Amino acid sequence: MMHPFEVDPSAPRSHARRDFLKQLSIAATATLGLSSPRLVHALSDGTQILHPKAKADAVIVLWMGGGMGAPDTFDPKHYEPFEVGKPVAQVISTFPSIPTAVDNIRISEGLENVAKVMDRATLIRSHVQPDLGSILHSRHQYHWHTGYVPPQTVACPHIGAWVAKVLGPNNPVIPPFINIGQRLEGVGEQEELKAFTTAGFFGSEYAPMNLPFPEEAALSVRPPKGMELARFQNRHRFYRKLADSHPQRDSMSDFHRDSMIRSMEGAYRLLESKEREAFDITLEPKESYEKYDTGRFGRGCLLARRLVEAGARYVEVTTEYVPFLHWDTHADGHTTLRRMKSEIDRPIAQLILDLESRGLLDRTLVVLASEFSRDMIMEGQPGSNAADQAEKVDKMTEMKHYGLHRHFTAGSSVVMWGGGVKKGFLYGKTAPERPCIAVENPIGVTDLHATLLTALGVSPKTVFDVERRPFYVTEDGKGQARMELFGS
Amino acid sequence: MLKPITVRPFALLLPTALGCLLTLGFTLTLGFTLTLGFTPNAAIGQEPFDFAHKILPVLKKHCAECHTGDQKKGGLSLNSRESMLAGGESGAEVLSNDKSMSELLSRVSTKDPDLRMPPEGPGLSESQIADVAQWVQAGLPWEQGFSFGAQSYDPPLLPRRPELPAPSSPDRTHPIDRILDADRAARSLAPLRSIKDEAFVRRVYLDLIGLLPTPEQTEEFLADPSADKRPKLIRSLLNKDLEYTEHWLTFWNDQLRNDYSGTGFITGGRTQISKWLYEALIHNKPYDAMTRELIAPASGESAGFANGIRWRGEVSAGQTVEIQFAQSLGQTFLGINLKCASCHDSFIDRWTLKDAYGLAAVYSNTPLQIHRCDKPIGQTASPNWLFEELGNIDAQAPQPERLKQLAGLMTHPQNGRFSRTIVNRFWHRMMGHGIVHPTDAMQTQPWNEDLLDHLAVDFVDQGYNLKELLFTIASSEAYRAESERLEEKESSVAYAYQGPRARRMTAEQFVDTLWQLTGAAPSKFDAPIVRGKSIGLDAGNPKPTDPIGAWIWSDTVQSPSGPPAGEKIALKQSFTLDKLPSQAFGVITCDNEYRLWINERLIAEDKNWESLESFDAISALRVGQNVVLVEATNGGSGPNPAALYFEMKLIDPQGTVSIASSDRWTYSTSALDAQGKLADGISDWKKAVVANGPWAGRLQNEIAMGLARGPLDGPMVRASLIKADPLMRSLGRPNRDQIVSMRPTELTTLEAMDLSNGQTLADWLAHGADLWNARRASLNADAQTIRETPTREAPTRELIDRIYMHALSRHPRTEELQTIDEMIGPTLERTELEDILWSVVMLPEFQYVR
Repeated sequence: MMHPFEVDPSAPRSHARRDFLKQLSIAATATLGLSSPRLVHALSDGTQILHPKAKADAVIVLWMGGGMGAPDTFDPKHYEPFEVGKPVAQVISTFPSIPTAVDNIRISEGLENVAKVMDRATLIRSHVQPDLGSILHSRHQYHWHTGYVPPQTVACPHIGAWVAKVLGPNNPVIPPFINIGQRLEGVGEQEELKAFTTAGFFGSEYAPMNLPFPEEAALSVRPPKGMELARFQNRHRFYRKLADSHPQRDSMSDFHRDSMIRSMEGAYRLLESKEREAFDITLEPKESYEKYDTGRFGRGCLLARRLVEAGARYVEVTTEYVPFLHWDTHADGHTTLRRMKSEIDRPIAQLILDLESRGLLDRTLVVLASEFSRDMIMEGQPGSNAADQAEKVDKMTEMKHYGLHRHFTAGSSVVMWGGGVKKGFLYGKTAPERPCIAVENPIGVTDLHATLLTALGVSPKTVFDVERRPFYVTEDGKGQARMELFGS
Repeated sequence: MLKPITVRPFALLLPTALGCLLTLGFTLTLGFTLTLGFTPNAAIGQEPFDFAHKILPVLKKHCAECHTGDQKKGGLSLNSRESMLAGGESGAEVLSNDKSMSELLSRVSTKDPDLRMPPEGPGLSESQIADVAQWVQAGLPWEQGFSFGAQSYDPPLLPRRPELPAPSSPDRTHPIDRILDADRAARSLAPLRSIKDEAFVRRVYLDLIGLLPTPEQTEEFLADPSADKRPKLIRSLLNKDLEYTEHWLTFWNDQLRNDYSGTGFITGGRTQISKWLYEALIHNKPYDAMTRELIAPASGESAGFANGIRWRGEVSAGQTVEIQFAQSLGQTFLGINLKCASCHDSFIDRWTLKDAYGLAAVYSNTPLQIHRCDKPIGQTASPNWLFEELGNIDAQAPQPERLKQLAGLMTHPQNGRFSRTIVNRFWHRMMGHGIVHPTDAMQTQPWNEDLLDHLAVDFVDQGYNLKELLFTIASSEAYRAESERLEEKESSVAYAYQGPRARRMTAEQFVDTLWQLTGAAPSKFDAPIVRGKSIGLDAGNPKPTDPIGAWIWSDTVQSPSGPPAGEKIALKQSFTLDKLPSQAFGVITCDNEYRLWINERLIAEDKNWESLESFDAISALRVGQNVVLVEATNGGSGPNPAALYFEMKLIDPQGTVSIASSDRWTYSTSALDAQGKLADGISDWKKAVVANGPWAGRLQNEIAMGLARGPLDGPMVRASLIKADPLMRSLGRPNRDQIVSMRPTELTTLEAMDLSNGQTLADWLAHGADLWNARRASLNADAQTIRETPTREAPTRELIDRIYMHALSRHPRTEELQTIDEMIGPTLERTELEDILWSVVMLPEFQYVR
């Protein structure tokens, strides 16, 4: 056993000495007036926070925004084809199931390529969400991405910002936290999306680099439109010269000035670096590009792979949440899902295979998740008073009635690949009949995060002192990693 | 160099992580070559002797009980390195010259049970003894600023009127200077130097109204020979009501978490206080009155702050609007953090769960169950105020009355916490560092109690006048001192006043100044306000006349379901003028969209019925027949109310004529073309129909004020009136879901990227290049003095000079002109002008207020 104050050599150690002291004697240092969040290295009982040994260096979250119905994707149930006059109550899945590379795992039709890589995956079928009353997608998404249910009294950082803050970049010129595919302007609930797509109290150094259109990502690391690289370089050179000819530059060092110039220099280095090519998916060989090119999401997967190869730490790729679109099927769900699955199936499988063939899969955790599942009849979860938001029919009369049109929070699916998780492993299960609630190993956001963080070598108890109170990476530091998910 | 770099080589070279590197002041060059970009945080490497992890735990576990805090067994206190070195009854031999003879080391390592420390228990392990030996060997390093001794500070509640020290010299009689001069003298610190006038003018413009002085304004100030030119300038800036308001709106929107978009609006769970706030600032409403209206709103206009944010669905006990109320009031008005106490008794200050719920219960309309960590404890909260010394709330009174009582207690003249909190916030904005810092932690000891207390009582004496408070601070010599040189971000040394600390421009300030320099400000804004000072609300001014127009539409308003979605009509009114009036202006809005032409000239268009547009029509009018034509479109997805409002005043010395929408207008269902013309031969004109709807009730007052204000003289639209865009968000404009008291002080790499290649800024700069290019063309070469290197055309020189004067309030130096000469070719190209502008606004000198 380690002495409580012994330091795990793999623990983040920046500012360790000073922060540690400050935590031990908050009263003594109160007059120092520290205002920015500080990493705390020990719990209030004096226990040192030990970070686990990292199994992965990077994480890619494949975000199925809008509520991916598990019965029609990774947790197929009783299937009934569409038939006019058929009672809705008879239908749980609207697709038949298909076999996968793992004997005891079947998934939904339309995911044939993903089925082939399920032998590298851990499939969780028992992810659960709290009942927050009437459903607002962005509220659950906020919870999933920050670990906390809004509203909150402090600006909660996105889990990507936590990872960026605690672990820093894998490569100093690649932003550690990159968010692909989600527009934050011009879409419904955009303000609610912005509320968690942020580094919160960590400040914008750890904020996501947002790349809503993968095909335009290259633009964001290029000189402005119409500016040749030579002019860009020239401009920077003259800028540095002008900045250096500041009259008082020699007299003394100046923190604000130096810090600003350092940031400008850092940005410049990325914008003229070789690594920026990672952002340009058109540089991908044609054959490979086409394997991913099913749409924005597919191209986003390609971009994610290129960025992780170049040293990104946390990358999220989303099918994009837009109210009533994509996975958010309030009507016509079956037809919509056929399209959604054809968009995600090939690129996800290709991403896994590419990471594997490059030797990166072992050290990259890929997590596919959504804010909740869906059901044809039940809104929320048993006992919830969530108000119904879709047209109610007892019997299907038109094709548009065929689909999972209600939000269901008591049993959704998460798939993980790489990063030290077991291969071909099934965890948890939901009831075979409606309500399809998780009946074995239910796992909430807190423990799911703890598992993800543990894979990355970050303690779920990691805590920062914010406004003089502890703020933990998992809610109140209570996250417990499900260690049974790791192994070969 | 640009291959993936692990942090390890870097960590081997330097003992600590990047943050420490910077604080130690290593040269930048070294930093640049080794680590540029995103801060590596997981640096692992050799450190200097690790007192924190090796010794402190040992002291804490084995020694603290008898030798720290008030305990000094054997006369030895280990509270600080100093007290430790002073030794105890056994002598001062903790650190002797012969390090092997240290009393401390021998006492912890001896086997003699009578001498060994600690006297009880198993004592130190071998490895811990080895650590202590190393520590002694290293000279007993201690953590600067650390002490075991508790420093308890209990902030006073009541106001206190400190006695002012005598002035240090006859020209330093300002109370702030008397206090700070005496403080510096007591510490034997030399007086601070004052900045030059050109630096002062830039500083005071940016601090008070958030704008750069124009070169003309700077030169006018420099040329003013009068002795009192500084107070005169401060006063004149504070008198610029519109500029003042639209600058300080940023501070107040942060402080009151008000915005034009944000979470909660989508489900109606939040309302703005924008209009109320704008009016309060432009009329310089006393702060105590503002506070009372926020706590006990007389109308819905100021209720948004107290009502908080409600997301759809259910929330846990710590997030209810009642608890939000308690937290917001505590934080904003008192600098008290009730966030801990909202869940359980606070571990870090005196506030308890009952305190937080007591305050929440003042607001609550229903009995409030107290929850500890989200579980009910079976008690109902009783309405209660935090400081009983000032009185309390009648728990039996109805809610509006309770809120009134709470507002009264909060703004009680004896509530020194209230006045101290706000003067401290303003001091922080003006001086870059709070007297209590951070500003939301008012339980912290101020670095100068007299200063804080004096400002607070003076503020109350002046009738809670926020502008006077700013005048007081800005007119001190202390405000005019040279900026503090900060060598590291957060010093562990106690703060001492060394001049104002450089203030980074807020996102809004940066955007405003860029718009000033480039002319790229938009013509529209999002804040639901009418800009400028309304005439009607000022005492002594007549009330504006009531609007005379009607809300009109087509005959579809008479159908049971109302106007269909997407209905598009043309509404028309003609009138004849014998001569042109001296002024012609008006207001218009439409549910849902409109385009307004007067005599085939597009005057205004908008898609939001809740925002009223003011327009100036004088240049569109002509003698003879004039035609007002409006294309109006109903929105929505099914039938819904629709209407247009238009009212224009034509003023000349003989009197005023109004042209207003009424049932005498006509409408046609024929479409207009893009130029606002109707096809010839339209004959389906019908009489417009007066519509009933919620509009008049909502907008009547605003219409009256808009008409009373007269034509706009076109002040630049300010960033504080615009919804947060990606650039402003990147530069630190917060999601106003939480109260924000302090903005980020440093530019980050991601922000720098947006500034280096973002399209928004690039577009502004292109706009700016056109603007300056046009100015260059108008400069008369002969009339200009040519400065320094005369190898260039004079107009270009003069142009560069003007850019520097506007951006930095100073002339460029020879060295800088030479650099720019190198930068530009034989003739100054537009792209070069863009690059010069970019380089100047990226200078730390530009982005920090110094």
